[in-house]
Amino acid sequence: MSLIDEKDQVRTEEMLLNLGPQHPSTHGVLRLLVKINGETITDVEPVIGYLHRGTEKLAEDLQYTQIIPYTDRLDYLAAMLNNYALCHTIEQAMDLEVPERAEYLRVIVMEMQRVASHLMFIGAYLLDLGAMSPFLYVFADREQIVQLFNEICGARLTYNYMRVGGVKWDAPPGWLEKVADFVQYLKQKFHMYDELITGNEIFLARTRGIGRFDTETALAYGLSGINLRSTGYPWDLRRKKPYSIYDRFDFDIPVGQNGDCFDRYYLHLLEIKESLRIVEQALKSIPSSGPVLGKVPKMIRVPAGEYYSGIEGARGELGFYIVSEGKDKPYRLKIRKPSFINLQLLPELLRGQSIANVIAILGAVDIVLGEVDA
Amino acid sequence: MIGFLKGLSVTLRQLPKKKVTLQYPDVKPEWPERFRGVHRFIPELCIACNQCARICPTSCISLSGERDENKKMKIHTFDINFDICILCDLCTEVCPTEAVLMSDTFEMAKYSRDDLYLDMHWLHDNQLKYEQAHPDRFERARGEAD
Amino acid sequence: MWDWRSQPLTVPSVIAMLIGAVVILLLALGVVTYTIYVQRRILGWMQLRIGPNRVGPLGLFQTIADVLKLLIKEDVVPAKADRALFMLAPIIAFVPSFTVMAVIPFSAHNVFTANLGIGVLFYLALSAITIHGVMLAGWASNNKYALIGGMRSAAQMLSYEIPLGLSLVGVVLMAGSLNLNDIVLAQQHAGLWNVIPQILGFIVFLIASTAELNRTPFDLPEAESELVAGYHVEYTGFRFAFFMLTEYMYLFAMAGLCATLFLGGWSGPLLPGWLWFAIKVFLYIFFQFWLQATLPRFRVDQLMTFSWKVLLPLALVNLVLTGVVKAIW
Ligand code: SF4
Ligand code: SF4
Repeated sequence: MSLIDEKDQVRTEEMLLNLGPQHPSTHGVLRLLVKINGETITDVEPVIGYLHRGTEKLAEDLQYTQIIPYTDRLDYLAAMLNNYALCHTIEQAMDLEVPERAEYLRVIVMEMQRVASHLMFIGAYLLDLGAMSPFLYVFADREQIVQLFNEICGARLTYNYMRVGGVKWDAPPGWLEKVADFVQYLKQKFHMYDELITGNEIFLARTRGIGRFDTETALAYGLSGINLRSTGYPWDLRRKKPYSIYDRFDFDIPVGQNGDCFDRYYLHLLEIKESLRIVEQALKSIPSSGPVLGKVPKMIRVPAGEYYSGIEGARGELGFYIVSEGKDKPYRLKIRKPSFINLQLLPELLRGQSIANVIAILGAVDIVLGEVDA
Repeated sequence: MIGFLKGLSVTLRQLPKKKVTLQYPDVKPEWPERFRGVHRFIPELCIACNQCARICPTSCISLSGERDENKKMKIHTFDINFDICILCDLCTEVCPTEAVLMSDTFEMAKYSRDDLYLDMHWLHDNQLKYEQAHPDRFERARGEAD
Repeated sequence: MWDWRSQPLTVPSVIAMLIGAVVILLLALGVVTYTIYVQRRILGWMQLRIGPNRVGPLGLFQTIADVLKLLIKEDVVPAKADRALFMLAPIIAFVPSFTVMAVIPFSAHNVFTANLGIGVLFYLALSAITIHGVMLAGWASNNKYALIGGMRSAAQMLSYEIPLGLSLVGVVLMAGSLNLNDIVLAQQHAGLWNVIPQILGFIVFLIASTAELNRTPFDLPEAESELVAGYHVEYTGFRFAFFMLTEYMYLFAMAGLCATLFLGGWSGPLLPGWLWFAIKVFLYIFFQFWLQATLPRFRVDQLMTFSWKVLLPLALVNLVLTGVVKAIW
């Protein structure tokens, strides 16, 4: 067999490389079928569903309160936000009043959750790029948030804290002070992350200008959250369609310029700062006492109709769409899963890239497989 | 060039810092009072109203009651299939008499699924263990009741 | 000084050589064992962890336990692998790594050291053989990840061999000899370690040697987050142990080389020679672990560009400067 064909050219063959589902940096059980020609990627096909639990179908058989613990398991890094997204949709549909203190507690835990989730992104991304320490540093910081959540709702990951019309528990004594201490602590930590990661030349070389896309593409693919903001488009549902009590707080929407991996990383860091600002303000103005669960009928029945409401999740717009027939169970529940939508862009981003960039791009797209597969 | 030197100084500074590792089997974590571990159960309080079984999203509670001499409902069997329990806490939330509660038992690695089928005795033993481990919490509850 | 070359090849001298080799092997194994332990401790401390502390007092027997575990594991040879090459590759990789120990002068009375006239060349030549082992391992495994890992490391080690070699030439010029002992003696005589006059060469050497050792930030061949484990992904048990041993053996050897060429080897005031040598070796090894705790990984094409476009010109500049200065003096 000759390796040289008639035209005197070296014959090359496409190689099919199977990344995952058991691969250290596919963030769970994602499988990528990568076709490579030499070092260049010609095609990518993500294969999903390894973590599919049929949450949407299960929900059709569950009362509304019973669905809440299932939402914990969608994006397991941001369970509080999922809890809230569902409760918020039901509250909108039923026109329920949520007590003041409950709203404040919700905002505090949600923003803390965003911080935890973003920290985790930074750690995992750096681990993908081969730096080990940031992963452990963020875990040490995230651990404190998890402990705080453990104190307020008794779980470290699957909180099941929100209820339709409020929250399950009031904060235990001294909890709010602990949160305030933590906010101060984390603020001091920023320069460390900046020095360790943001300024590192190798990190910059691997992320600057890599995995770029523009606002048009992002909008065409329905991206939201940091993926959209990194292209310079200031779209944040907390501002654009204020829900809960976000209109009372003063915070910025950081946007990127280039839409590359570095911008996405850096926006995570900046958003942590903004979230901490919100928590600080919320801690100042939270009413010192009051009910944490509003007047909710004993049996929650969403009036017949179709309802959708979206919130700014940690990875983009997280929405729940409920079709109700007026019973105590939804007729159909559809979840707008930001990770799933982010993943759609991946083949487009990877095509034509060098194989060495796969991990850097995949990591920055920011997906959580629990949410992709639902 | 400066950036990566700064990074080096960051990691060097961590060297003498206090470590965060918990020496797990030697040192047990301290769980807060609300911690949701495996259930505990107080048979005397239960009125076999079946609310916990109905709210449970995974249907992992099965129970049966019987009437005693005074025609009051008493619990006869109470099993939690811990295999599928997702520790959501909804059962304790609806229980009108606080007969089923969460404990801070969390080490549930077992060799067989059968070992995860927790019956009333196991759950009650867990309650006794919890009482022993946290006498202060019961004192306080009693104090509040008085 | 015990000179091997002046002895006639008699039975006692052969036995003495064998004993010397075994002693060095044991020494190297001991150093490797505790290098791994120290690595895990230092990484742990830098990452707010404790590191191994379970096996034996302070976890001192952790590595021994790990090695034992590897030795009693099942030896799996994949069905589709090229059996002969697959088994040969770890040996090809390991043997040179141990052989290069022969030229490293451990102490002033360099017991068990071949006083080779071409010490530097010997080191470079032998360490290049290991690349074959690595590449063959990647090829013979018949696994795509292993193949990519093997190819990457071959490309990487070859391209860093050149700046590495060139950075040594400056030192060789200063001492006027390729013999490692003479280089140490020259530094002692000058009263100045080479790291000062050869600072440029030293920097090039540090970077190139890190790449040569496949350590962070140049650990692409075994980048676990991309290639799973690179060329040794299919290896288990003691064959895998051989690759690990090779890696740490080279770490020790490279540390020895660095100490000898740039830090004055065993020479130094007050303390005995072997202790000086040990301190310098430890400094180099510590530096490697420190890098490992801090830096992310290079991308493969950036790595190549870096070698050819930055390191090689730097090494050449250093060489020319050294030559000019030497000629003027
Ligand atoms: S904790 Fe939740 S899943 Fe477990 S038994 Fe109670 S209601 Fe059922
Ligand atoms: S445990 Fe509570 S909710 Fe369940 S049957 Fe007994 S009293 Fe009713």
